[in-house]
Amino acid sequence: MNEFVERQMKLTWRPPKKSYDVAIVGAGGHGLATAYYLATRHGITNVAVFERGYIGGGNSGRNTTIIRANYGIPAAVRFYQRSVDLYRGLEQETDRWLMHQQKGILWMAHSEAAVRAERMRAKLNTEFGAETEFVEPRQVRELCPQLDIEGGGRWPVLGASYHPQGATARHDRVVWALAEGAMQRGAHVHQNTPVEGLILDGERVAGVRTAAGDVAAGAVVSAVGGHVSRIAAMAGLRLPIRTHRLQAFVTNHYRQQFGPIVASSELFFYASQTARGEMLLGAEIDPQPSFSYRSSHDFVQDVCRRALHLLPFMANLRVLRQWTGVCDMSPDYSPIMGRTGVPGFYITTGWGTWGFKAIPAGGEQMAELIASGETPELIAPFGLDRFARDRTMADRGSAGTH
Amino acid sequence: MATLLVDGRRVEAQAGDSLLVALVRAGLHPTGGGCLCAGGDCPNCLVTVDGVAYTRSCQVQAVAGMEVTREHLGDEEPALLAKEPTSAGNAAPVRHVHCDTVVIGQGDSGREAAREAGEAGLHVVTLDAREGQHVTGVYPGPLVVASDKAGRVLHVHPRREIVVATGAAEIQPVVPGSDLEGLVTARGAAELVAAGIDLGRAVAVGERPAGLPERTLTGHFPVGEGGWELVRFEGGGRIEAVVVRRHGDTGAAEERIECDTAILGLGRNPRNALARMAFDLPVRVVGSAAAEPELPPCPREGTVCPCSGVTVADLDGVWGRGFHEMELLKRATLAGTGTCQGGVCLPYLRSFLLERGGRLQPAFTARPLNRQLTVRELAAGAHTAVTARSPLHDEHLSLGARMDRAGGWWRPWTYGRRDDEYRSVRERVSLGDVSSLGKMLISGPDAEAFLERIVPTRVATIRSGRCRYVLMLDERAYLLDDGILCREVTAGPGSGDLLDDGMLCREADQGAGDRFFLTSTSGGSGFFELWLRDWAEAFGCDVRILNQTASLAAINVTGPQAARLLARAGARELPAFGRHRAVRIAGVDCRVVRLSFTGELSYELHHPAADAPRLWRRLLATGAGFKVQPHGLETLLRLRLEKGHIVIGQDTDYDSTPRRLAHEWAVNLDKGDFVGRQAILRTNKQPLDKRLVTLRADEPPAREAGDPSAEGAAIHDGDRYAGYVTSDAGTTADGGVPMLGWLYLDAEGKLPREVTVDGRPARRVDGPTYDPDGERARTAVDTASETPENIRKLPVARSEATDLAAEAPAEPPLLRRLEATRVSATSKALDALVERPPWIAGALAFRIAPDELLVTASPDFEVASDPHAIVERETAFSYVWLEEGAAERFLDRECEWRRPDTRPALAQGEVAGIPAKLWFEAGRTLILTPAPFAAAFQRRLARSLAEIDGDGA
Amino acid sequence: MSLRIPCPTCGDRSVHEFVHGEIRRVPDHLTDPDERDLDFAFHHDNEEGIVTERWFHALGCRRWFEIRRDTRTDRIVEPEES
Repeated sequence: MNEFVERQMKLTWRPPKKSYDVAIVGAGGHGLATAYYLATRHGITNVAVFERGYIGGGNSGRNTTIIRANYGIPAAVRFYQRSVDLYRGLEQETDRWLMHQQKGILWMAHSEAAVRAERMRAKLNTEFGAETEFVEPRQVRELCPQLDIEGGGRWPVLGASYHPQGATARHDRVVWALAEGAMQRGAHVHQNTPVEGLILDGERVAGVRTAAGDVAAGAVVSAVGGHVSRIAAMAGLRLPIRTHRLQAFVTNHYRQQFGPIVASSELFFYASQTARGEMLLGAEIDPQPSFSYRSSHDFVQDVCRRALHLLPFMANLRVLRQWTGVCDMSPDYSPIMGRTGVPGFYITTGWGTWGFKAIPAGGEQMAELIASGETPELIAPFGLDRFARDRTMADRGSAGTH
Repeated sequence: MATLLVDGRRVEAQAGDSLLVALVRAGLHPTGGGCLCAGGDCPNCLVTVDGVAYTRSCQVQAVAGMEVTREHLGDEEPALLAKEPTSAGNAAPVRHVHCDTVVIGQGDSGREAAREAGEAGLHVVTLDAREGQHVTGVYPGPLVVASDKAGRVLHVHPRREIVVATGAAEIQPVVPGSDLEGLVTARGAAELVAAGIDLGRAVAVGERPAGLPERTLTGHFPVGEGGWELVRFEGGGRIEAVVVRRHGDTGAAEERIECDTAILGLGRNPRNALARMAFDLPVRVVGSAAAEPELPPCPREGTVCPCSGVTVADLDGVWGRGFHEMELLKRATLAGTGTCQGGVCLPYLRSFLLERGGRLQPAFTARPLNRQLTVRELAAGAHTAVTARSPLHDEHLSLGARMDRAGGWWRPWTYGRRDDEYRSVRERVSLGDVSSLGKMLISGPDAEAFLERIVPTRVATIRSGRCRYVLMLDERAYLLDDGILCREVTAGPGSGDLLDDGMLCREADQGAGDRFFLTSTSGGSGFFELWLRDWAEAFGCDVRILNQTASLAAINVTGPQAARLLARAGARELPAFGRHRAVRIAGVDCRVVRLSFTGELSYELHHPAADAPRLWRRLLATGAGFKVQPHGLETLLRLRLEKGHIVIGQDTDYDSTPRRLAHEWAVNLDKGDFVGRQAILRTNKQPLDKRLVTLRADEPPAREAGDPSAEGAAIHDGDRYAGYVTSDAGTTADGGVPMLGWLYLDAEGKLPREVTVDGRPARRVDGPTYDPDGERARTAVDTASETPENIRKLPVARSEATDLAAEAPAEPPLLRRLEATRVSATSKALDALVERPPWIAGALAFRIAPDELLVTASPDFEVASDPHAIVERETAFSYVWLEEGAAERFLDRECEWRRPDTRPALAQGEVAGIPAKLWFEAGRTLILTPAPFAAAFQRRLARSLAEIDGDGA
Repeated sequence: MSLRIPCPTCGDRSVHEFVHGEIRRVPDHLTDPDERDLDFAFHHDNEEGIVTERWFHALGCRRWFEIRRDTRTDRIVEPEES
């Protein structure tokens, strides 16, 4: 008996209609969360989500499932803290087991500059409502007994920031619970239905052209990951986005409990344990823009080497599986949410390597924008127009992290 | 006979036994139950071997002394695994193999493919699981990664083709009771029988097992049309009976056949995971791996995925709730996500989905790893990034410095005398190692025009012998870096007044065109060269660029007594503030730059890296009378903060325009176009939102226990959040606390004057808190009264080129600093130079780029056809000769790229994780590596050679 | 090894030895200097297909060169291919 077999969710598929109030492109976490919050918070249910493959098949099903709010700028700390809070209540709200586990994140520092950065992170997080404290090496050891605090003699841990609200949840289940919640209230999700164009009515976007025919919509939201530049081009937009691969891997089951999520900005990796007991490791995006889902050997090779400095116990674990997602990177490492300047067309993108943790807040805020017509204060700083306004949202707390 | 320890009990294995055979021979099922395939395709024989879990017992030989644990026995949580003493020993050794064709699998079709390729004259490498070579993945490159028997990891790099000849896996039974002991596949049965194991009363279901003596079977039930179908296995723990019935008739009577072993021949599924993984690589699949998969009947009941424990009922459950796609079925049940990666369940998932949905769905994506290697095996061949060492690294260590990683370099953080380090600068004289600064020489007809377009200051007004602080912006007008730009002393006819006797001023002899020296911060030094070259090419500028970051060391001599110290060390004439000049100090030729980061009288001594320890020691010795104390990075950060100088990366952010940094004074918008100019004009049209400001608090801000600084603390303007502190280094002598921080303008667009930091009052101040008028740094210097101390006796540092050709490989191989010359000139000029070299016979010349040459000669020649050529003494590299055999063995392990076949030949690239230049001659190989990485290279070289010798390879 | 980049001076090397550089193109229809500058500073073609790009061989000859690569597969496109 496998306790992880899904036994609760029910997905209901309905044939497409000719017209919806809202058409959402992309049935990943952000698209489905937008539909979910439109339905649950605003009663807007004449909504369709179009997906070229299967739900959650892009980055929503390829990420490393980390939830945290310890970002580097006030607006981001506030936004992600909202997401942390929504995640915490999501199991109860949906009455579904999402394997949400609060386990804390330790961000390791191996140099004076990194100690300084982690101390600064702790202060800024605390100021804006995300609990984070700087901890000394002996506290690091208590929080994660498996960690070699001496870093194999080469990468000693001089301290860390500790963010106790750091959590993980099962990525697929988050997607399915949001899909189910939206479907139950009448929203449609159409799998295997790529959007091939946008219907333009003058300057206004008035619907989508899909493989299954044209569909009119009062509002169109792009919530795609990996191919957003193509969708935006259909509306005549050029985006500050480049798409890069991001890789990850899991080992076989590790029989000990590995408590927190650990990360090192200087050794460029992070590790956590899945609910099944696997060790899950990730690192940086690949340097060149790419849409290829290929995994590479040098990725697993380098991350294994770096991880061994801090987690020598992993030496004898076998690596089970590698995979790859493609991430839309914004120049300032912050998401882009809101209006686009094209009437009827909204966008939620730039989710880089931090999309999963933002799913509930991103969906909630986009839903509010569409329902009310007003950009909510929480996401106002993340608009596409910020580049022209010289108000980029450079976030060191998101760069090098996931 | 070999004795193993299984769950703490002794088990005897026979010669040639796989671990699986040894266990079964001893009456032990590795996992307590489940059909054994003996082919590495199922999870039913996984055990822990010598601490490595999830080991397929059918794929390893039984070896005396092996410690085996069977996981299903569910012992208590194991203690933490013993840690390796150092991380350095953790990664397994790698061996790189370059070939034309690699053939994976050595069954009939694999052997045939290898024979054909060999006959075609190709270099073929074969990999075979029976030889312990388990292929974990086929990757872009192309690269095939496999384990080998010697405990190494093979990285096979085929130039032409990957042949996948991995054969087929047998389809496993999915019926109730499939987790009993006593089930084997047809091939598994053949292997056990061949090993002399008695299967007892055996019943065969499906294909008749090949090579099995008739007498071993008590029954045989072919499956499919006109035959039988398998219903279930019965038994308690171990099989007691097989139950079958006539195919296709669920109402037919069941037949129950008692047995000790059930042998299952239910069909074949191609082992094509590697081929599917390699979909867009030059891969060819041959033999049964290329066959179409056989689809088993849709399973009715039982465990479909033994790795994750997924049953047919589980599949039905999720199907009924809307999970209809193969990937969704997999994700909702986790079927196919275990060790065998769908080896058992995939055929059944496809037949299940076909029956329920009427559509045959493709197999789910084949992802690495095909065969699971351990973390230490996968790390083989990888190296963690090296932190560069200054040529003064050992000097700092001998002075008791605590070294810290900063900007990719090891820097002395403190010498353990924090207060004296500070006072030494402010009151006496101190030395600081700034060798990690980026350093570039730029020459050529367009040098000035190029720099005008690179930096926002006006370069034309930097006169010969002068220097200026410059910003470097990106195309968004965000600050990338800062540095010092010096225009060389271009002493043509008439400017001989700049030449003093006894000074080296080779630039003076050239006198043609412009030449500049530009520094960057330590952290930016890696980016510096590519950034300059990128723009030089974009602008089409005719310039020569020579990266001298590792060529030159730099010592900052700073403090009120700095000039006196240098005079005593033999400096005859020192530059005035804002100038630079060539000065010989303690016998070392230096470029002395006079600006100040500390706020005190400062001279930055740039000099050949090879001479750095000597100069450093001499300055310390000469400075003893001034109680000279070197200062570390910690003190430097404090000193500069009192002067309000920014540190890139600490005080600046991604969006730091000169306006936000209050550095408009360093920008000249009237001089013509430069990188970031249009962006400045564009962003200046937007209202300013924040500014980097100097703050001063009269008392230290409230601090957390143990936190020495307010860095990161919030700044408030009344109740309004108004920014945060970026730099705070504590209280100054006058009791105030200077800080730098980002301050947001208020609703009226004004910067508040009075704020609070962590609740304590602070005031925004204009200009530095220490010596606001800069008198200390600019002070006029009179050193006439100083007499050089014993300087006449000091020999002048000589740059005699290393006679590389005359040196031979030595034991043990030790890296030494190379004394040579580097030339940057047009490629045409270098062609001519190499053809008819002016240097002595026997010098080796390495063409390291079309327009760059490294030559083991003295820098006393000219490049005839390029008046702008840069010819400089070069001590940035370390070298070692290796005897050819040792070099081959070392490089097979530490160099993943294909090496040249010709001799002599130069090749450049990463070796042992460090950039290297290799010079191959008959019988010996030269390795050159940047000196800042030489210590790491030496360590890796020694370790590799020792381990290779240990292998007996 | 992963992706191999063909350096014209040094030969094929792992992508890790290089730094990627984009060749930026501002669309012709943009004429206002500020609009062109904004596009140059921030916007990308982000093309799914064959792109011409620059690479700097940081661990070898330390020079820039151009190649063409298919961003859908990471395959290096030979000069004669279209």
